[in-house]
This record gives sequence, C-alpha cells and structure tokens, in this order.
Amino acid sequence: MGVVMANELLRDYQTAGSSDDEMFDEAGAFRADYRDLGQTLQGWTLEEHLQREERADLSLLSAGITFNVYSEEEGTERIFPFSLIPRVIGAQEWSQIEAGLKQRLRALNLFLLDVYGDQRIIKERVIPGEIVLGSPGYLPEMAGFQPPLGIYAHIAGCDLVRDKQRGMVVLEDNLRTPSGVSYVLENRTVMLRVVPELFPRQGVRAVTDYPNQLLGTLLSVSPADSTDRPRAVLLTPGIYNSAYFEHSFLSNQMGIPLVEGSDLTVGDDDYVYLRSTTGLERVDVVYRRIDDDFLDPEVYRPDSMLGVPGLMRAYLKGHVSLVNAPGAGVADDKVVYRWVPEIIRFYLDEDPILPNVDTFSPLIASELDHIRAHARDLVIKPANASGGYGVLIGEQASSAELEDTLAQVEAEPRNWIAQPLLQFSSIPTFDGERLKPRRADLRPFVLSGRETWVIPGGLTRVALREGSYIVNSSQGGGSKDTWVLNEEPA
Amino acid sequence: MLSRVAENLYWLGRYLERVENIARMARVEHDVMLESGQEIWHSLVSTTASNQLFWDTLIESPELTHSEFLIHSMQNPASLRSTLVRARELARGLREHISREVWEEINALYLFLALRKEYIANDIHEFCTETQRRTQTILGLYDNTVLRDEGREWFRCGMYLERADMTSRIIDAKYHILLPGEDAVGGAFDRFQWMAVLRSASAREAYRRMGNNEVDGIQVAQLLIFSQEFPRSLAFCVQALQRHCQLATTQTPNRRRAAAERGIALLHLDLGATDMDQLIDEGLHEFLDGFQQRLIEIDRAITDNIFRAEPNAGAAQRQSQHAVQPNANVDQG
Repeated sequence: MGVVMANELLRDYQTAGSSDDEMFDEAGAFRADYRDLGQTLQGWTLEEHLQREERADLSLLSAGITFNVYSEEEGTERIFPFSLIPRVIGAQEWSQIEAGLKQRLRALNLFLLDVYGDQRIIKERVIPGEIVLGSPGYLPEMAGFQPPLGIYAHIAGCDLVRDKQRGMVVLEDNLRTPSGVSYVLENRTVMLRVVPELFPRQGVRAVTDYPNQLLGTLLSVSPADSTDRPRAVLLTPGIYNSAYFEHSFLSNQMGIPLVEGSDLTVGDDDYVYLRSTTGLERVDVVYRRIDDDFLDPEVYRPDSMLGVPGLMRAYLKGHVSLVNAPGAGVADDKVVYRWVPEIIRFYLDEDPILPNVDTFSPLIASELDHIRAHARDLVIKPANASGGYGVLIGEQASSAELEDTLAQVEAEPRNWIAQPLLQFSSIPTFDGERLKPRRADLRPFVLSGRETWVIPGGLTRVALREGSYIVNSSQGGGSKDTWVLNEEPA
Repeated sequence: MLSRVAENLYWLGRYLERVENIARMARVEHDVMLESGQEIWHSLVSTTASNQLFWDTLIESPELTHSEFLIHSMQNPASLRSTLVRARELARGLREHISREVWEEINALYLFLALRKEYIANDIHEFCTETQRRTQTILGLYDNTVLRDEGREWFRCGMYLERADMTSRIIDAKYHILLPGEDAVGGAFDRFQWMAVLRSASAREAYRRMGNNEVDGIQVAQLLIFSQEFPRSLAFCVQALQRHCQLATTQTPNRRRAAAERGIALLHLDLGATDMDQLIDEGLHEFLDGFQQRLIEIDRAITDNIFRAEPNAGAAQRQSQHAVQPNANVDQG
C-alpha cells in the first residue's frame, strides 16, 4: 500500500506528529482498519461530502437531538456537532479493550463494596485511608450497607485515549451518572441513513442492544421483596438538564416511565411510589440521573427541588434500588484514580489489561516535587470537576496562570492531580473546507449486573478546534460514530 | 399513568388546538382586512388575549401592531408563537409518550416559527396557512401513530375542551351583529362578516352542505353551537370531551373523577335542552360567557381532583396497588 493519492478532501492532511493519526500510518498510507473507508472517501468530491454533512445535521436537528448549554441562556439548545468520518477499531484490539474494561469495573465494584464494608484495602495500606475517606464522593451513611448483588457502579463510562507509546489508556472513570450513550445510538442511525456506502464489507458490531442490556441490568438489582413484575423508572432533573434528551431517549427505548422528583413519593411504610392518575404504584428500581447531593433533601441538600424526600431512608431499608448506588463517586475520584492499578492487583490478583495515565498526586511529597519541577510538561486538573472545566495545560498556560494554579495545588493538594500531556491520536474530521486531523477520545459504556457487558465501541468525542485536547461537548467538542469491525480486514 | 404526564398531554392537546385556531382566525382576519379596508385585528386580540396587555406592551414597543402582538410577540403569552413554544417545550418532556413522527413534526413547526426572527405583515397569509397545515398534520399523525392509551384520551380531552372554548370565542367576537336595532342587520357587510366567522371555524363547506342557501347569522350560530355533526361545534366538542374523559378515567377512583364528569355531563344536558330562540331571547353573549366559565370549572376539576390530587401513601395503599398492578401499566406500552 503506497502513499495515498490526495483528493480535495484529504489535500494537505497535516497530522500533528504524523505518527499519531488513526487513519494514516507514518508513511502516509491507510492503516489496515481504515483501508475500505479511506478508499471510499478518496472517491468523494468536496461537494458530495458537504451534502452528506448537511443531511446529517438536518436529521439531528429535526429529531431534536440536542443538548443544553449551562453557560448560555436557559433553554438554549444545540445539536452536538457530528462528524461523518467514523473511528474504526479492529476486532482483535477491541477484544483486548473489552477485557480490560470488564476487569477494571469488576475491581472498582469490589473496591466500593470494601470501602463501605471492611475497608481491607485501607487496613492493608494499599491506599491511604484519608484519600478514600476524604473523597467528596465518599458517603458515610452508606457504610455497612450492601446493595443488591454487591454492585455500586452499574453503569460506567470510562474515557480512553490512544497514546503513541502505550496504545489505549484509561484517562478517567465516570461511575456516577455517565452520559452520552444516546449519541452512540443516534449517531449510528444517522450514519446508516446518510452514508450507507461507507460501511465496510465485513460489517460493524451493532450497538442497538444497549437499552435491552440496560433494562436487564436495572431489573437484576430489584429489591428482594419486589413483585415478579418489578417496576423501574428513570429519574431526571427535567427538561432543562443538559442530558435531558438522553433521559427521554433511554426511558423510551426501555419502555419505563421517565419521572421527575415530584412524581415520586415515599410512603409511611418507607416504600417509593409513583403518583399516577389512578393512585400510587410501587417503584422497585430508580435509574437516577441526578447527583447524590440532590437525591434526597432530607439527607443531602435541603434546597434540592429535584430529589425525593425520604428516598435514602427507603433505599437503606432495601425497599428500592438506586442505580448507580449513592457513594459510587469515591471510586471515580481523580485522586483515587491514581491507585486503580493497585486496586486491580489487590482484589483480582491480576495485572491491569488497560494501563492508567501516569498520575501525580500532590498529597505525596515526591510527586508534588515532580509537579513543581515539570509543570510545563503536565496537565493539572481539579480532582472533582467534570466537563473539562478548570483544566490547566502547562505548555499553553501563561506564567501567571501557572503560578496561580500551583499555589492552589499546594494549598489544597487533595483537590488536584497532574498528568503528562498525552499526544493522543487524531482522526480526520471535516472543518468546513476539508478533512483535518482532530484529537479524539473514546467513552465505552460498561454495564454491571449479574454479568458485565460492554457496548461494542462507545462514544467517540472529538476536539473541533485545531490542536485542542478538550473533547467535552460543553466546551464545543463533537462526536463520531465508532465502528468495531466484525472481523479483521482481509 | 403518571399524573404529570397526563396533565402535560392534556395541555399539549390544548396548545396545539389553540395554535391551529389562532392561525386560522388570523388568516381570515387578514383577508377580511385587505378586502374591507377595515382594521379589525383588535377584535381578535380581545378574542384570544387581553386588550390591557396589548396597550401595556405598546408603551414599551410603540411599533407593535395588533397582528404582530397576536402572532409573533413573545410578550403576549397567548400569541401563536408563545403558545407553540410552550407546546414544543411540553412535547420535549413527553417524547416517550408520543411517536417520533409527532415529535419531529412539532419540532419542525417550532423550527419553522423560531427561525423567523422578524415579523413581516405581508407574510401572514402564507405563514398562517403553513402553521395550520402543519398543526393539522400533527393532529393527524397523533391519531394514527400514538398508542391509544390513557394518555391519548387526555390529549383528546385537552383538544376538545380548547376547541369548544375557541369556537365559542369566534362566535362571541361577532355576536353584536345579531343584536336587534342595529342598522345593517341582514346587509351585505353582515353577510361578509358571517362568512368570515364560518371560515374562521373552518365551517363554510359544512354550512352549505347543511342546506343553508342564505348566509344568515342565526343559522351560522345554530351550526356552530348545536350541530351534532360538525366537529367544531360546541355540542360536538362537549360530547367528545365527555367520551374521552370517560375513557381516560376508567381506572381512576370515583371520588377523584366525579367533579369533572358531573361538570361535563351537566353542560352536555344543558346544551341539549336549549335552542336558538331561547339563546337570542336570553342573550347570546351571556350564554357564551357562561359556557366559557363552565369550561374553566371543568378544567379546574380535572386539574385539582385528577392530576394534582394528593393521595395517602402507606401500608394500606401498598396492598391495593399490588392488586391493580397489571392494569396500572398502561404507560409502559
């Protein structure tokens, strides 16, 4: 396979380091997994590409597949920018990723059960107790409580990036209310409609089973005393939440009621009921898409209008199941993340299949020194924020910004971590004129019930600005369809 | 069915029906204005919203015309645009209860309206025709793609209650022409006005097919109030409201549904026991006003007793809900 003949779409396709592109290898030839796709693209004119981009956007807009942006006026909706060129993952590589994710989630769930149980991992000094118990995600009221099947993080979204040296690495875990799976399903629908000619001969793994798997997971953790027809509901903060589309989409796909806090009530018997036109109906499982803090104004924030008074009482009596379990956030704390490889070894006695990114915690003296000495080469992140807010990229920051952040790091070491700036891989993405390399991550979703199941692929998020490393939708990132090939290319 | 969902479906029905009615009335008024040269938008403003609000808004926006206030202004909560924005907001929250087709059509209508930043008076005809056509499409899709469960009955209740209200307002806006002692009774201008009323209620063809040769105010009012066959008449709408409310509440405890059902049944009986002569004698405006008042009471009974009733949760409740569970799953379809 020689160097690719560039057409108008691919002309001047400059990769940042030229070796970290997913589609092209260092010699400028298509990588095997992308060969079919690349050859089809070579036959496209700019005009043909533009038409398809427009059709895809129109299809998402008219379907109302939009998200709300908090920083803008209330009710402002945007479509999640969608990029037609998919990410392709080979069958073999995928089976490695899948095994790695299953391993990781098994270990993290065992860790949570231990943290709220015997705390063996602290007693045996694998991880310092103050880091675990000092995590904002740690909920003391969960201590001693064992959720059904012993699972806390039923639905997880792990963010992966492809590092030049180490291949796929885990950047962070999201174990509270990870979002984005609806875009995985909708992106595929749009791709099938708009660019059927791009799909490869051997086919790609279907993603449509996700809602069925999710419902199965929810019902598998029904309370012991529920009826033989347990009822699950999806609890949403309401239509102004940025992920509302997803809440509505998933409840619709699973055929379960989408409820707001005021639709539920906890009776004198400490069971949870749905307010219906015919009376009250018992609820067995609540797939909650609201944060721990807002779940129950009797226990957490008293000003929460989103939660259900008494919900924690019902939960701790085992009368209702909450998915994910409150307190799961202690395991996706960015400081605790540093210890995940140790966690995997401790509970499973296995080496991690998917590596972590090297992470430095300023709580450890030697690591604080390292952060000070190499700040320009590091990314300094707040430990407990999401959406890419507050992240400082050393090489791009001004001296004043850097000093300011380092001062905060020293003042509150529990709130910060630092990692090397990863030169993670890029994928061709249309910028309005032609295809340009743009960095992308991957968020596969992992379901843990009686069994552990991983969606084939996941959400590929892409930075739309040149050179940017921030892929979060709230900061102008876009998304792509993710193809896991059914078998290796011939 | 979830109480909040039932209430929102009811309001989705009301808002969509209202959008369609405002569009139809505005289109007719626009034509009438062009032909007669008379500025009659103010009567439409008083039909749908408050005159006071219009004058208050005028102080801030002196350029505002009656038609813009009625169609495009977001300062008027009863404008076509405000109503549609609310309908679409509700629909967003009801996506798992309506079909994808219905949602996409509501969203398309919203985008059609929302994309118009400026209001252009000369576009009224095209704009209203398009809005009316799209609303009718939504209502048709709703009937043909949405599961016929409790939610659909509430949607219909909202739609018919709103339609009854709107038709009564369309007649009310012209009732003064029927008053004795006015000069031009039976004249050409009158006929012109009554034709406009018929068109405002999509009733011109129906009126002709009922065998009416003359365009006569009494006959027009007769059709719009008492006809059992015309789907926009008060009698028809009240009967439909009664049927759909019964279907929506088959599982609802008697004590919760009694007030609404009694209100609807009495209104239906009273309409059946009245005729046109009696209305003229006792005052058409007073009758229409009373009719609208009773719709408000029915709406309140449905809202307070069915959608927002506060049931007691406890052990006893738990027993009974286990017994009814198989029937209570209507919204899971």
